[in-house]
Formats: sequence, structure tokens, C-alpha cells
Amino acid sequence: MDGISLELMSPRLLERNPEEGTDGQALQMQRPALFAGYADLGKLRYDYPLVLTENDGGSARMQPLSVVMNELIRKNVPSGPEGDEFRWQLLHMEARIRELVSGGSEKPLSRLWRQAEKELLATKKGADRQKLSAKLDVVRETMDVDGRIIECDADTPVRFLVHAWDMIHASKARVFRKRVDGLILKLSDILKADFVKSDKARSPEILKSAVGDTFESDFDFSAMSRVLVEGSHSEMLSGERRQRIEAVLMVLQSQRFYAPGRASERWLDGVEPHQFIFDNCADAMNAFRDRLPQMVDFIEAVSIAELEIRNKYRPELHDAFFARFNDCDLTEADLAMFPSYLVCLRDGESDAVETVRALEAIASGFPVKVLIQTDDILGDPSPEPPRTSFGGGSARLAAMALGVNNAYVFQAASSGLCRLQERVLNGLLYDGPALFSVYSGATKTVAGMPPYLLAAAAMESRAFPSFTYDPSAGPDWASRFDISDNPQAESDWSLHELSFEDEDQQRVAQTVPFTHADFAICDSRYDRHWVPTSHVKWSDAMVPAADYLVAENMNGSDNAPYIWTMDKRSRIRRTVLDDRLVNAARRCLETWRGLQELGGIHNSHARRQLAQAREIWEEEKNSEMEALKARQAEMQPQSAPPTAVEPTPEPVAATAIVEPEPAEPEAVSPDDPYIETPRCTTCNECTQINKNMFKYDENNQAYIADLDAGSYRQLVEAAESCQVSIIHPGKPRNPDEPNLDELIERAALFQ
Amino acid sequence: MESAHTECLLKLIDEAHDIHDYQSDIPPRWCTGCGDNSILTAIQRLCRDEQLEPEKTVFVSGIGCSSRLPHYMNAYGFHGLHGRALPVAEGVKMRRPDLHVFVTTGDGDCCSIGAAHWIHALRYNMNMTVLMHDNQIYGLTKKQASPTSPRGQISNTTPRGSYLDPLNPLTVTLGVSNVSFVAQVADWIPDVLYDIVSQAFRHKGFSFVRVLQRCPEFMPHRFDDWVRDPSRMRLVVHPDGVQLSASLSKTYRNQEIHDPADIDRAREIASLTDEIPVGILYRNSEVPCYEDLREGERPNTPGLIRTVLDEEFDKVTIWPEEPGKVAAE
Repeated sequence: MDGISLELMSPRLLERNPEEGTDGQALQMQRPALFAGYADLGKLRYDYPLVLTENDGGSARMQPLSVVMNELIRKNVPSGPEGDEFRWQLLHMEARIRELVSGGSEKPLSRLWRQAEKELLATKKGADRQKLSAKLDVVRETMDVDGRIIECDADTPVRFLVHAWDMIHASKARVFRKRVDGLILKLSDILKADFVKSDKARSPEILKSAVGDTFESDFDFSAMSRVLVEGSHSEMLSGERRQRIEAVLMVLQSQRFYAPGRASERWLDGVEPHQFIFDNCADAMNAFRDRLPQMVDFIEAVSIAELEIRNKYRPELHDAFFARFNDCDLTEADLAMFPSYLVCLRDGESDAVETVRALEAIASGFPVKVLIQTDDILGDPSPEPPRTSFGGGSARLAAMALGVNNAYVFQAASSGLCRLQERVLNGLLYDGPALFSVYSGATKTVAGMPPYLLAAAAMESRAFPSFTYDPSAGPDWASRFDISDNPQAESDWSLHELSFEDEDQQRVAQTVPFTHADFAICDSRYDRHWVPTSHVKWSDAMVPAADYLVAENMNGSDNAPYIWTMDKRSRIRRTVLDDRLVNAARRCLETWRGLQELGGIHNSHARRQLAQAREIWEEEKNSEMEALKARQAEMQPQSAPPTAVEPTPEPVAATAIVEPEPAEPEAVSPDDPYIETPRCTTCNECTQINKNMFKYDENNQAYIADLDAGSYRQLVEAAESCQVSIIHPGKPRNPDEPNLDELIERAALFQ
Repeated sequence: MESAHTECLLKLIDEAHDIHDYQSDIPPRWCTGCGDNSILTAIQRLCRDEQLEPEKTVFVSGIGCSSRLPHYMNAYGFHGLHGRALPVAEGVKMRRPDLHVFVTTGDGDCCSIGAAHWIHALRYNMNMTVLMHDNQIYGLTKKQASPTSPRGQISNTTPRGSYLDPLNPLTVTLGVSNVSFVAQVADWIPDVLYDIVSQAFRHKGFSFVRVLQRCPEFMPHRFDDWVRDPSRMRLVVHPDGVQLSASLSKTYRNQEIHDPADIDRAREIASLTDEIPVGILYRNSEVPCYEDLREGERPNTPGLIRTVLDEEFDKVTIWPEEPGKVAAE
């Protein structure tokens, strides 16, 4: 048997220390030594409880309670000693709210705040109480976030994602309603304008209701109606167009994808908007298929409405297009208008076949957002695949989904959700499918460990690394794939400082990695695979697990891999691992290195290419060096040749770009009449003298259209009356015209 | 926002408007020789060249010869009250920012009875093109002195000649905060008139163009000196402003290169008295438009307001018990 099995190990390691050996349970209560600082999370200010901020149109995001409180303190409490008391009181209130939340309260922040406030005030009396109350009133007014508060527990991933989806849905609904309400209003205006032009709108009853009761008796409405009807000759909408507009209005007003907007009055009582959150993929996909015809109708209606509003609907052109409009015509932008489908799956609870369906749904490109919540990463130690789990593969499902290539994939433990919420929101906003794989930290077989701590440990130990694959971020893996959210993503394991007191009461400080094995020993199912040893048993044969994993030829040697742990009473131990845990850690490391390569860290292809390039470069350099040496040897006896002087090119004379003179307009014979058309002011003087001789061109400026259409006298008169003197009459063409001499004399002024 | 289908389908329609499509059924009834005709032509050329949709274009006017222009355009028109063209136009723009709004007004309409609206419209800087036809006389009512009439002008209201120096609309506009486009042009240089009108149209903001306009009936020969002697016109040119064609450059040799961004020089040019400056004096496209500052979140109509109010009232309404329910009990 390769490697180490505890039974085969040196007995001195197995010898139990008398003080702990008596209690097998106590022996097995080991925690990773690095957890020393996190004994009681209730006293720490960290990412949870988390305020699920209600989004009313702003860019509000989910915030940890501690961040909300820090902001309030920054705004309202003076810095320095004078603010100390009030700061302490506020922090005390925060602690109280924390307590209430962990006690299972589901109330929103504002309600819990009031309760904590009341309790705080109850401790004060008289003037102190009033003063504090006034100060708290001011703080409450500056509090601009509110929403439910959640703890980090088994329900966190679902609640977080559903809340994020709701936020996205609300902002999508706003955009949608603004657009659709606008269309509805404009279409209604068309119908209303048409109604006002109709005879019915001019009927005595309508006229009467328009005037109101007060002056009713002063008018003869039938006479008024008669006059108005007789005098009107408006063009009405064609029946076909009216029908089209009414049909479109009906579709727009009765859509069920979002709750009705203000302009949708036709929603019947009892009709509910569609649901988009499901607990299995089959229902979500069926719902999508069922609603597809409605989506097609709706998009068709929107397009027709936009054309109608611009009065650009041409039945002869557009009827044919809309007649064969179907789901193939829906564009990505069209689909993006509609809500996405959220499916929440949970490993161990959802049917195992859902994992296949989830991948299928994601691969089909349909706008589904799948949350896969994992509560157990390590799985059962027995080799048989567990029946209810996704074959132990739910943790690997995200990595499998990367292969789909057009799906947004996000993986993180719930401890990082708040910090990474932008990534979650981006995934929900992404036009295509998305997969969110979240580890809740609520593993049932881990006793006495808060889910937050375990979730964070899963990220630290690479057991559940975080990564994001965003197809919309760019064309290549470098821009799409990101593992930078992991702690110390550059290295194999994340390194931390560990300091403890040794048997001589001396401080020992070490940098220790947090490995997969540190994570695994928290799980009671793996108790059999490790054993803690106190310092009396420590030997040189013990090798830190991280070194053991990367060292060669360790298997079969006497060396035993260990990790640092501590027992219930915070005494430091080296816990020796058997080969099962070591192998699990090795697999984990391999997977992590695979992710690192995808994320561009220590990429093997790049390294190989680098090595090749270096080799070639070195070869080239060497041969160059040798050639130089050889040449030098040749040149030695001769004198150095004069350095060749490179002829400097003569500066090219800047050739002046001579713009060709604009060609003179064709010489106009002074005898021919003409008009300087571009200067014409359209004043109608000439056209009134003779509208056949003078005409307007395409710019409404005058030119001589037909000289034969009028006399020389008219030409001269036009020249005289032209306000801007641009008509030049030239010489008379008909020598028989009367009074020519006089006209020529008058015309001379305008030649 | 428009869907891809709509854009695609709109391409199927090939509609080109020629200049006559913008002429209404009513032929212009200005006097023969009137400079207003030239302005109408420039506007119709602009509409054709920009292919403005008649149903998306509005001409608003007050009262006066100039204000008859909307009648002659095949587009929406609003022939309003004396001096009140600008408030009406602002209302149109506020409610329908998708429309192209033009205002035609005169020296009396704008600088006298409508002066207050004019000053504030400049400050509001709403996106519209304003053409002030300045013939320096009330023509429609047959010759009364207007604020821009020259001192000593004899008219029906000033039989001994007017006593005051004329108001200079250019210096006034250049003194109002938020002013964003000021130009002056004369109706007898049609090419420059067209150029300035089209640049005014393309400017986003309140474009004020004063057009010096000949009135052959009541102010004959008022501008003869300038019409006949192009050297008395100062053409204000700049790569960012008006650029003259070669032939116009030959006629109008008195040119000054002036950057429309320079408001100080613009004020000096505006104050010239002997020469008539023509060109874009000032332009600043950075000034925000009031309709953008006050843009609402939702579409807003009386019907909607009623719905919203009803929703609010419903919250505090005590509903009578439903009759059916009572009977059933």
C-alpha cells in the first residue's frame, strides 16, 4: 500500500497522551489552528448580518450591518473623545440588532432599529434620556437604507440571489414600463384625437358634458352640435388602421411579464403577472416555451406601435413582414426586455436529474439563471455515490458549465457574496444563461462551526474556489475568466501567520498554509483519517502537509504529513493525516492549479512557449556571439575601417499646394440677359411681372426660364423692381419692339 | 428607444420630401419685394435638406408680418398672441421634446410686448430655433415705430420722429445668462441666411437669429446703403462659424475672423453701428437645456395624473360595504 495509513504508522504517534487519551471525543474535537481568532463570531463585526437593501430606483446595494453603522457614525458622531459615549451607544445598539437577528427575527432594519433604540432609552432617565432620544432621532433620519436583515445560514444563498434578482427585475420593470406606457399613451392619443374629430364627439350630449352644469342653460347644444358637424370636414382614421391600433393597445396593456404600469388600465381583477422563480429547470423551461407566443405578440405589437406613432406603417410593405413574424425574429435586445427565469436548486434536496437539466437549459441559451447551492463539498467518505446529491459533483458543476462557453458562470461561498455582489448582479443582467454555484457553509456533519466561518474556510482552502466567467467581458479567456477574488490567487495555498506559545512559554511565529486538509478535518465524517499529536510526540519525520504534497518521492517514506490544529482548550497540536486526506488535498490542488492556468496564472502553455522562445533566443545570441568573435579574430591584423557615413537625404522642398483657381464662370455675353440666382431673395417682384419668363428653381430662387415668354420691356421692368438688383436685361432680341431706345437706356443701369 | 425591427422596417419606406412639400396650400401674402419671402425660402430649404418630417415640426409665432410664416409652412403651426410666441414654444418643447420647434417673431413682437418672455427664454435655453425678422417698423398695422426703429423715424405714432436710440437686440441677448447661440444675418444674402439658419437649427439650445429684413412698403430704402455697398457689411467668418463661398467672398470683402466662443469680442461686434455685422457672433453648446434639466421620469398626461391621484386617494378612502356581500350575510 502506497502512502500512509494510520494503522501502519509508527506507534509512538498513535500513543495517546494520558491527559487527552481518556476522552476520545475530546481528542477528536480539533479545529484548524488558524481559527484561533474566530471563536465567537457573535462578537465580531463582519459581512453578516447583511441588509438586503430595498432598491427604489437608486443604485443601492446590499450592505453589511457594520458598514451601515459605520456610515451612520461617520455622519452623525463627532470624531474624538467627545463622541465616544454616543459611538459606544450606537455600537451597543448594533450588537443588540445582531442578537435579535441571530435570534431569528425577520423584521426589516428600521423595525429592529426602533426596538434596539427603545431598549437603549429604557436604560436612561430624565434629561439624559431626552438628549439621547433627540440625538437618535437625527441618526434615524440620516439612515438611507432599509430592508430585511439576514444571517449567514443555510438559506442565505437563495435569499441573497432572489433579492438580487428582485432588484434587477424592479429596474428592468421601470425601463419596460416607461417604454410601454409611453407607447400606450401615444397610441391612445391617436385614438382620442380621432374621436374628437368624429361627429359623435360633437353630439349635444358630449358638448353638454364638456361645458358642465353651471352654464348648461345658456347654450343650445343641439344647435351647437349641428353647426359643428356641418362645418367639419376632417379626415378620420381608416377602419383598418383603427383596428390595428386597438389590437396593438390590447396586447400592450394586457402583457403579463411585468405588473401593470399606470397606463395599463385593462388588467382584469385576479390576473397575476407571470412567475419567474422556480425550483426546477423543467418548470422554468416549460414556462418559457408556453410564454414564447406571448413574447412574439408583444414584440410585434411594440414594433407596430412604434411605426404607428410615427405614422410610418405602410400596409403594403409591413403587413407581409408581420404576417410571418415568429419567434425566430426575436433579437437579443428583444429578449433582454423580458425578465429572466431564476431556478434555485439545492444539492441534497433537488432531484439529482436536475443537474443534467440545468446544464441542458444553460446550453440551450435560454435566459435562465440557475442557482446551485451546495451544502456539502466533501461528500460522504463511502465510495458509493450518494443518491440525493448530484453525484458529489455539484461543486464541480460550475467548472463543467464553463464548457458551454456562452453562459455566465460564477462560483463563490456565501461568505464572499456581499463583497462579490457586483458579479452576481452582472450575471443576472447578462443577456444569456447564467449559473451561480454557491457553497452555504451549512454542512450538517460539521458541528459547532458557524456557516460563515466554514464558507470562508472553503474559499481559503481552495476546496471551493471562487471564479467568474463572463462571456460579455471580451473575446478571450484573459478578459472573461477571473480568479482574482480568491485569497492569494497567485499561490498554491493561502499563507497566514500563526503564533503560539510553546512548552517553554516562548512565542513561536510561523507562516502556515491553509490547506484542503485544514478544511476537511472540520468534518466529523473524516475523523478516522487523522490523529492529533501533542508536542511530546513531535519528530523530524513529520512534514508540513503542504510540503509533503509537492515534494517528490514522499510516498512510502517514513515521513508523515501534518497540519497545525488546536483542541477545545486551545492547545496546539500537529495533526497527522492519512493518505486518504492527502490524496483529497492533492486532487484539490490539481483542480486549483487547473483554474489558475485558465485564469492566466502559471499557465503551462505560456511557460512552454516562454521556455522555447528563451531557448531559441539563447541559441541565436550564442551564434551571433560566435560570429562576432570570429569576425574580430579576422579583423585583428587590419586597421579598423572608416565608419561609413550615411548620406543624409536632402530635405524635400515643401511643395506648396497650390489650389487651382476656381474656374471662371463661363463668360456670359453682355448681350444675353441673366439673373444672379444665388442672390435672389424670392421676393416675387419678377415672377409677378411675368411668371412664365421668370421661374423659381429647386431652391425657390429665380432664373430666366423662357426669354420668348415675354418682352424686353418686362425684362427691364423686372430689373428695375428687383430689390437686390440681380436681374441683368442684356440687349433686346427683338429689334421691332416699340420704344427700344428708351428701354436700352434704362437697362444700361443693370448691365 | 426603438426596437431593431422598427428601424429595419423604417428602411423599407423611402420618402423624400422636396421643397414644395413644405409649402402649405396658402400662397405667401406678404407684399411683393418683402424680405420675409427670403426667410421663408431659407427655412423651406433647411426642411428639405434635413428632411424634417412635417408632422414632427412646429412653427410658433406671435403677431405681425413675420408671424404669418406658420401659415405658409406645411407643418404644425401655432399663430399665438402678440409677444407670446416664446412661452407657447417652450410649452410645446417641454411636453414634446421630440418635435423640432421654430419660432418666428418680429422686432415689435419680440423686443417690445414680448421682451420679458424673450429675456427669460434666453435664460431657459430650450432647444429651438428663433428667427427674429427685424424690419424696424410695425408693418402689419401700417407703420408705427418699433423698439428697433432708428432715432428720428417718422411714423404714425411718432409724427415728429422717434426720440430714442434703437434697442440693439444683439447686445441684449449677449448680456443674458445662459445665452448659447446668437447670430445676425440680412435677408438679402440668401446663401449666408441659409447657412446660419441651418447652423442655428443644428445647435442644441436656444438659437437666436436676428434677420435684418427689408420692408419695401413702409421702410423703403432703409437698407439701400448696405444692399448697394457690400463693403459696409462686416462678414464675421470662422471655421466654426460662417464660411463664405468664393463668389460671396469677392462681393463681401470686409471680413473679420471671429471665434464664436469669444463672447467679449462678440459683444464688441454686436455694438457696431455703422457697419452691419453678419455671421455667428456667439455659440456655446455646453449650456444645459431647461427641458433636459427638468426631464420627467415617466410619461405625464392629464389621464395619468388622474390615475396617480386616484391611487393616492384610494389609500385613505373608507369603502362602503359591498351591497352583494351584505345581502349574502
